[in-house]
Amino acid sequence: MLRQLGAGFGSVALAGLLAEGANAAGVVGGSNPLAVQPPHFRPRAKRVIMLFMDGGPSHHDLFDYKPLLVRDAGQPLPQKLPRVLSNADRFGNLMAPISKFRQCGESGLWMSDLTPHLAAVADDLCLIRSMHCSNPQHGAACLEWHTGSATFVRPSMGSWLTYGLGSENQNLPGYVTMCQPLASGGAGLYGSAFLPAAYQGTPLGQERSPAAEAKFRFIESRHARPRLQRMELDLLQAMGREHLATSGADSELEARINSFELAFRMQAEAPEAQDLSAESAATRALYGVDEKATANFAQQCLLARRFIERGVRFVQCNLGGWDHHYNIRTGLRNNARQMDKPIAGLLQDLKSRGLLDETLVIWGGEFGRTPVSEGTNGRDHNPYGYTMWLAGGGVRGGMTYGQTDEYGFHAVENKVHVHDLHATILNLLGLDHEKLTYPYAGRNFRLTDVEGRVVHEIMT
Amino acid sequence: MKWICRILPLAGLAAAASGLGQSLQTSRDDTSPAAASAAISPADIAFFESKIRPLLAENCFSCHGPDKQKAGLRLDSAAGILKGGESGPAAVPGRPDTSLLIDAINHGDIVQMPPTGKLPPQEIADLTTWVKMGLPWPQSEPRGQRRVDGAPATTYADEAVNHWAFQRPGKPALPVVSRPDWPQSPADHFILAQLDAVGLEPAPPANKRQLIRRVTFDLTGLPPPPDTIANFLQDQSPDAFARLVDRLVASPQYGERWGRHWLDVARYADSNGADENRIHANAWRYRDYVVAAFNDDLPYDQFIVEQLAGDLLPAADRQTRNRHWIATGFLAIGPKPLLANDAVKVELDVVDEQLDTTGRALLGLTLGCARCHDHKFDPITARDYYSLAGIFKSTLTIPKYDFQNHRTWNERALGSDEDELRHQELKEAYDQANELRRLNDEPMEQKKHSAQMKVVRKELAAIPVAMTVRDGKVQDMHVLVRGNHLTPGDVAPRGFPRVLVGDRQDPLDDGESGRLAFAQWLIQPEHPLTARVMVNRLWKWHFGEGIVRSVDNFGVLGERPDNQPLLDYLAVEFVDSGWLIKTMHRRVLLSSAYQMLSSTNPKSEIRNPKSADPENRLLSRMNRRRLEAEEVRDAVLVVSGQLDQAVGGAVFSPEHNAERVSERSGSGGVIARAYQTIRRSLYLPVIRSGLFDLFQAFDFGEPSVVTGRRETTTVAPQALLLMNGDLVWQAAKSLAERLRASECADDESRVCAAYELAFGRAPSRTEIGRVLDFIKSYEDELENDGLSPPERRKGAWEAWCRVLLASNEFIYIN
Repeated sequence: MLRQLGAGFGSVALAGLLAEGANAAGVVGGSNPLAVQPPHFRPRAKRVIMLFMDGGPSHHDLFDYKPLLVRDAGQPLPQKLPRVLSNADRFGNLMAPISKFRQCGESGLWMSDLTPHLAAVADDLCLIRSMHCSNPQHGAACLEWHTGSATFVRPSMGSWLTYGLGSENQNLPGYVTMCQPLASGGAGLYGSAFLPAAYQGTPLGQERSPAAEAKFRFIESRHARPRLQRMELDLLQAMGREHLATSGADSELEARINSFELAFRMQAEAPEAQDLSAESAATRALYGVDEKATANFAQQCLLARRFIERGVRFVQCNLGGWDHHYNIRTGLRNNARQMDKPIAGLLQDLKSRGLLDETLVIWGGEFGRTPVSEGTNGRDHNPYGYTMWLAGGGVRGGMTYGQTDEYGFHAVENKVHVHDLHATILNLLGLDHEKLTYPYAGRNFRLTDVEGRVVHEIMT
Repeated sequence: MKWICRILPLAGLAAAASGLGQSLQTSRDDTSPAAASAAISPADIAFFESKIRPLLAENCFSCHGPDKQKAGLRLDSAAGILKGGESGPAAVPGRPDTSLLIDAINHGDIVQMPPTGKLPPQEIADLTTWVKMGLPWPQSEPRGQRRVDGAPATTYADEAVNHWAFQRPGKPALPVVSRPDWPQSPADHFILAQLDAVGLEPAPPANKRQLIRRVTFDLTGLPPPPDTIANFLQDQSPDAFARLVDRLVASPQYGERWGRHWLDVARYADSNGADENRIHANAWRYRDYVVAAFNDDLPYDQFIVEQLAGDLLPAADRQTRNRHWIATGFLAIGPKPLLANDAVKVELDVVDEQLDTTGRALLGLTLGCARCHDHKFDPITARDYYSLAGIFKSTLTIPKYDFQNHRTWNERALGSDEDELRHQELKEAYDQANELRRLNDEPMEQKKHSAQMKVVRKELAAIPVAMTVRDGKVQDMHVLVRGNHLTPGDVAPRGFPRVLVGDRQDPLDDGESGRLAFAQWLIQPEHPLTARVMVNRLWKWHFGEGIVRSVDNFGVLGERPDNQPLLDYLAVEFVDSGWLIKTMHRRVLLSSAYQMLSSTNPKSEIRNPKSADPENRLLSRMNRRRLEAEEVRDAVLVVSGQLDQAVGGAVFSPEHNAERVSERSGSGGVIARAYQTIRRSLYLPVIRSGLFDLFQAFDFGEPSVVTGRRETTTVAPQALLLMNGDLVWQAAKSLAERLRASECADDESRVCAAYELAFGRAPSRTEIGRVLDFIKSYEDELENDGLSPPERRKGAWEAWCRVLLASNEFIYIN
C-alpha cells in the first residue's frame, strides 16, 4: 500500500529489480507504486466490484434454467461421471431446481424466483453460463478464481489490476476486500505473492464478522484529541529531519518520514469513507441496510459504492455459506435472500449515480453444483459447468453467453474457463493479459499463465 | 563427526569447464510405434473407409490436417495420430482407455473435441472400436520414428552451458590494491581492487558506538545493552571488536537470529497454507533444530545432509536419531495440497514443491521451471527435472492420498518403537472415525464419531512426534509431457542435472530413494553451486545485499556477481574451513569493508543516478538497513524492559495439530493467544495466509516460498501500526515507568538513559533541551483534559517514549 510519497530525488528504480517486465507504464518500485498508470488501450471500465459467493452457489437453482432437470427429476443421471469428483460416494439422482424460473425484463432472461430483485434488473446482467475451472475442492478452486493458480502462490486478480493501473486515491488502499473468508486459500486470495506488497488487498474484517466491524486496522487514533497526536508527530518529524541530515541523503529515510504524514491523513479519510450515516434513508432502504436478512451484505455493497466513488480500484464483497451439501432448500433460499436486494440495490444505485458505466460488477463463486443430489437433500461441488455474471462497464446487459449440457453438469458451448474470464476482465479494464507481466524467479509471470481467451462477444 | 561419502562423478564439470558442453546432448530413445502394421483385412478396410475416414474428414481435418495443425497435431494419417501433438500421442493402438483422442471426443479432462460439441454416440463408439482394432489405416504412409514426449531435445547455447555459476570456483590470488594498509581481511583486497578500478574510495571506519549497534543487531537481532556498549568503549585493545564478535556468536541469541535467516530459506511455517490451512503443531522441532545447528556451528555440509536425508543416516543413539529425523522437517513443512481430489496430481505437486524449494535454497536454481518443458534459460531439461523428481517421488511426505482423510502429513513418534506403533494405530482410528462421520447424515451419529475423534486426538497429543519424511516406494519417474501426469513420456532414471554431472551417471541404488546420494553430491567440495550459494547468503545477511543480488537464483536469468573473485574466494575458503559458518562470520565481520561508515559517500551517493555507484554495488560504504519485522518487535520489547528471553519450545499444544487455522484464528483462538507472548518474535506462530499483523506490515515475506532476500517497503500501514497498535503503546508505558523508577537523578539523565537504550548513544545538549521542552508543553496540553499533575507527567513521558520508538534512528541501523 501507499509507499514512498514525494520521494525527493529517490524515484529511480533499482535497475536490478526493474528487469524487463513491467506494468503498463513500465514502473516497478522506486516512486509511488500506486500512482495512476495508463492502461494498454482505451478501457471500457475503470474499476471493479467483485461479489464473491464463497462455497459454490448452485447455478441450477439461480441462473441456469434446464427444463430437462425438472422433467427427469428423480431419475439417474444419464451421463458418464467425470474422472475427478468431490463426494462421488454420496451421489443421488437428478434433483429439480428448488424454485421456479420465469423470463424477465425486455431481454427475457430466465431468472429464478429466489432472486426477485435481481430479476428486476435482469436487463443489466450478462450471464456466462459456461464457466468451468480445474478443481472440485474449495481451497484450490477459490485460489484458482482469485489468482489463476490452484497450486502455487500467485498474485490475486485485484493485485494484478492495481499493479497495472494504480489507484485514483492516494489516501486509501487501491484494493480492498471486506469480510474475507479465512479458509479456502485465506490471505492467498487477496495476496500480492511476488508482486510488491503495495498491491496486496487490504482486508477489512473477516469471514462471519459483521460488516459494521469491517474496519481498517490501526486506523483509529488512541489519542484523546488529534492535537496530542500532532504534537508527537511534529517531534517525530523534527527528529527525522535531523537524523536525515547527519545520515546523508537517503530517499528511504525520507519516505518513512512522509509515511507518518500519510498515515495521519488516512486516519481522517478512511473512517469517513466507511461512515454510512451520511447515506439517505432512501439509499439505505434500496440496499436493505436496515432489514435483518440483508443488513450485513447490504452494508458491504453500500461500502463498495463509497470506496468506488473515492477512487479505489478493486473492491471485493464476500458472502459465504453457499456450500449446500445438506438442506439446500432452506440454505440456498436464505443465501439468495441475503444477496438479492443488496446486489440489485447496488446496481441501481451505481446506475443512478452514473457510475455503472465505468464500474465492472462481477458475481460468482469458486464453482457451481451438481444437477444430481448429494445424499438426500444437497448438491455437490461442480467445477465442470456453472454460471457467473458480469454487469456494468463495457458489458452487454440482458444476455447469456455459453451453455451447459441439457442437465447443467458440463459447460459444452462457448466454454469460458477461469483464465478466459480473467483475460476478459483485464481487457475490459484496458489491459492486455499477455502484456501485463512481472519478472520473478527467472521468468515473466501473468495472471493468465499461458492461457486465456478474451470473450469479446459479451462486450458493448 | 563426518560420514562416508559415496563420491559420484562430477564429469560434467570438467566437460563444461573445458568448454565442451557435451553434457546436454540428451539421449532420449526413440521408440518405434507398436501399432499393428500387418496386412489389413478387407473387413477392416471397409469399416475404416465407411465409418472412420468420413468421420475424421468431416470433423477433424480442417484443424488437424494438411492446412492447419492446431496444437501440432495431424489426424490425417495413422503416423500423425501416433506422433501426436503438444499433448503427446493422440492414440495408443488397442488402448482406447488410454488414448487422448478417445478421451477428447468423450469430452474428458484434458481436451474436449470437437470444440463445437460432442459427436453422436454412434460415432464415438466407432472411433473407439477403431482404436481398439489398432488403428488400421489402408495405404498408410510409413510411420517413421517419433519421440514419446513429443518435443525435440533442447540444445542449449554455449553461453548457458558455460554460465559462470556452473563452473567450479577457483581460489583467486589477492589483487594488488592502492592502499595496502586498508585491507584487514582477504575480502577487503577484492573490494578495494574494484573501487580502485573506478576511482572510488572506501568510506572511513564507523565509530565504536555505530559498530557495536550494527554488529549486535546483525548477530543477535537485538540492540546492545548500555553496559555492554560502555565496556566496549572502554576496551582499547586492538582485538576488542574480535572479542565482541566471539561473545556474540557464542550467545544463544545468535542462533535465534541466524536460524531465522535459514528458516526464511526453508519457507518455515507453523501452518500448512495452500488449499487447506491446518496447524503444524510439531513444526517447532525443526525450528529449534535449525537454531541449535547455528548455535552449535554444525558444519553446513552436514546440515544439508541431515535436512535432506537425516532419516537415512546411521545414528548411535535415540537422541541423534531423533535429531536426524527432525531435520527432514525441511522437506515436510512445505505447503501441501491437502484437499485436491486427484491423488496422483497431489503427490506430484508435493514433489514439485520439495524440488523447487531444494533447488532454490541449496543450488540457487529454479528447477521448478522444468516441470512442464525444458528450462527456457538454464540448461536444465524436463528429463533432469524428472530424474530429480523421482528421488522425491520415492519419498513419503503424505502417507495417504485418499482425499477425504489425507488431511495429514507424515509424522514420526520420537520415543520407543511401541510409541511409534501406538501412534500409527491412533492415527488410523482417527481417520476411521472421521470417515464414518462423513458418510453419515444423522446428526446424533455424527456427534458420536466426533466425540470419539476428540478422545483419540487427546491420546495422540500425548506422544511426542516430529514432522518428517521417509523413504516410500522407490521408483523412477516418467517425463510428464507438459507436466501432465495423464501424458507420461520416457522414463527418467533418478539422477542429477546433467549440465553438472554429465550424461554418464551411475544408477542410484534401487533400495533407497536417492536423497542421501543427492545430499552427498551437493556437498562435494568441487560442487560449483553449493558453497557459492551459501556464502552469498551469509554475505547478504551481513551486508544487506548479496554479491549475487538474486540470492535464490544463480541461473542464467539471475544477476551476475558484482565481485566474482570475492565470491569464489569466500566459497573456497568456506569449504576449506570445513563448512563452518561461524568461521565465515569472523572473516567477514573483521574486514574493513564491514566496519565502514554507512553515511553517504559523496562520490557514491545513495540512489543518486549521477553518482558512480548509486546502488553501492562496489561497497564503498556500509549499507544502511531498516530493522526486520522480528527485530522491530524484539527491540521495542527489549528497550521497554519487557522481553522474555526464554529459548525454544512449542508454539501450540499438540492437541491443536492439524486443526483448521480458520477455526482457531478468531479472537481468543489459540493463534491469537499465541500472539500475546512477550517472547522473541521467533517464537510467534508463522501462519501461512494469516501472518501476524506486524510480520505482514514489515515485509516478513511469504512463508510458502524460499525467501533469501526480504523486501524493504516503506508504507503508511507500518506507521499506523506503530502509532495506534498495542505494541508501541504498551512499550511506551513500560519504558516511561522504567525511566521513572530508575536511579536517574533527574529528567536530564532520564533522557540520556533512554537515548542509550534506544539509539545506543548519548543525546546532545540541544536534543536534551528539545525533549524537556516537549514534555513540558505536552503536560500543559494535557492540563486541558483536566488531568492531575502526576497523570500529566506520566502522559507526557509516555508520549515521548512513543516518539522514540517510532523514530527513524531507532528503526534504522547505520
